Amino acid sequence: MIRTVSALALAFCLWGSALAAPAADTVMRSANLRPASGSPEAGLWQASDEAETYARQSADLDSDPVLGAYVRNLICKLAPEYCGELRILVMTRPVLNATAAPNGYVEVYSGLMLRSRTESELAYVLGHEISHFARNHALAQWQRNKTRGNVTLAIQVGVSVVAIAAMASVANSGDFYAPNKIDYIGDAAQTLSDLAYIHGLATYFAYSREDESEADRLGQIRAHGVGYDPWAAPAIWQSVGAEVRASEYPEVRKSLARATIFDTHPLTEDRIEALKRAAGSTPHQTAEESRAEEQAYRAIIRPHLAVWLRDDLRRRDLGQSLHLISRLEAVGEDLGLLAYYRGEAYRQRHRDGDLSSALAAYRLSITHADAPAEAWRELGEAESRAGNAPAAIRALETYLTRAPGSEDRWLIESELETLKASHS
Amino acid sequence: MRIWLLALCCLVLAGCTTSRARVAAPELTTPVTAGSAGLLVKPVARLALLTVAGLTERRDDWSRDAATHLAAGFQAELAKRDHPFNLVDLSGQMEGRTGQVLRLNEAVGDTIQTYEFGAQRLPTKAKGFDWTLGEGTRLLRGDSGADHALFVTARGTWSSPGRKVLLVGAAIIGTPIPMGSQTLSASLVDLRTGRVIWYNQALAGPADDMRTPEGAQALAASVLKGAPL
Repeated sequence: MIRTVSALALAFCLWGSALAAPAADTVMRSANLRPASGSPEAGLWQASDEAETYARQSADLDSDPVLGAYVRNLICKLAPEYCGELRILVMTRPVLNATAAPNGYVEVYSGLMLRSRTESELAYVLGHEISHFARNHALAQWQRNKTRGNVTLAIQVGVSVVAIAAMASVANSGDFYAPNKIDYIGDAAQTLSDLAYIHGLATYFAYSREDESEADRLGQIRAHGVGYDPWAAPAIWQSVGAEVRASEYPEVRKSLARATIFDTHPLTEDRIEALKRAAGSTPHQTAEESRAEEQAYRAIIRPHLAVWLRDDLRRRDLGQSLHLISRLEAVGEDLGLLAYYRGEAYRQRHRDGDLSSALAAYRLSITHADAPAEAWRELGEAESRAGNAPAAIRALETYLTRAPGSEDRWLIESELETLKASHS
Repeated sequence: MRIWLLALCCLVLAGCTTSRARVAAPELTTPVTAGSAGLLVKPVARLALLTVAGLTERRDDWSRDAATHLAAGFQAELAKRDHPFNLVDLSGQMEGRTGQVLRLNEAVGDTIQTYEFGAQRLPTKAKGFDWTLGEGTRLLRGDSGADHALFVTARGTWSSPGRKVLLVGAAIIGTPIPMGSQTLSASLVDLRTGRVIWYNQALAGPADDMRTPEGAQALAASVLKGAPL
């Protein structure tokens, strides 16, 4: 019986080694590829076409032609060979993400554009997605899934057959302890079946991590090849790490350091190290170069900054939002707008001391030329809460002058009346 | 003994297409305008292969063929009735308000499937069949003057040969494994009121293969049985 169990275990180990060696070639897909009808790839394309149709009708779709053209040009610069077949949709979604579907439709999230400090950082992430597309990772992943499913199944069938044969032989032996032995074989077979399943899952995630690492590397090479700073690649992941550590939620903060065999993405620390190694001896940008690139990129995203920040606050992880605002402030521009959203983040978080921080932020905001009209409204509310009625009245009146057609005019006017009545 | 009876029942049932329609109460329906034609919206099919290990692999060719054959099959079956229907392709009108109505129709269709054909019922929909898309459906009438639109959706999988072998093997050791199956749903919407006046869902029998013209027409006939047209 020990022999039976060891045969089962051996089968399991063999299977593990059969799947261990990945193909290491880096052949890029040819341009304007059309999969043959009836192939698994054509199936993926059809599903992607449907997803694209939905994305095109989505309310999240950004309709600014200037922003769309900017991202399209950037992608064509990074991948001139796929320029004609990649269709770019900018989605207003406040998380750092971008996707490239096998059929060539690309989603770029506003949360990524807001978090990129420079065009080099954005170019690296887009290069990463283009590399998933160029290496056809989605198809490779699907085919591996299928093979793994089949092999797992074959192991499980094999285990069952061997276990049944062993049970039958024990049952026919007339052994007094036969029922216990049969139970034991059954349990062993079940355990091995489960192990095969779990091992299959773990390989899925390992391969997924490998694809991500490859896309990291190829994306960095692609962006560097057309003149972008290769140090931007580790830099954006460092920013992501810092933002996650600033989260309000312990679970989110811990997520960075927790490694399991089921992780789909390489740990942020490992990615950063690999990308730094790859940047190697390339000299860092000078402070002036870096500043110039930051300012040029800020000019591109400036028209969307207010909407994207408002959306970011709606994620309700205000620790992360405050961290992000600090990073944006480091460029030294848009300080009025950023101070207003800093105030909003404090006000919405509403922890000890947050309301006075919010008041300070609104006060700072209105000293800058780019302060939005809402800054005066919120300043008025904050001053009123702090018991400074004359300052509240001044701020609310300024709000009405600066936003004459606002929908909440009647509300502010009635508030002003109350304030003036109680103050006089 | 009981297991054999059950197996026999399954075999008998597996032989034919089965369906159970839902119909709105008569007071919720409006008579058809004499001489008007309905719209048969180009069917949508999402079909896949069920691999040995049970993964579903989308098949573009099956999906496309089935959509074409179902369109022809429904046209042929509807032509046998008094109320004529014209085939229209609305897939190019997914923008704006029209697109919103079409997506609402999809969402309502999915909800009907879940709560009228699934195990659970919505407490507010427990009495009778009472679903509506609202009067926005008038947009779909366009210049056609159509009173009704028929929406047809097919979903399903076919087992790969390996999966079939596995079924036999698993049956010997008494382990049930799911096999491929296909469902076809049809929804009749009154475009004047937006009300879903009839909805039917059929589980295709093995003889009715919607990837063939004959199978698609046979399925269309089964689904349309008892439709108030």
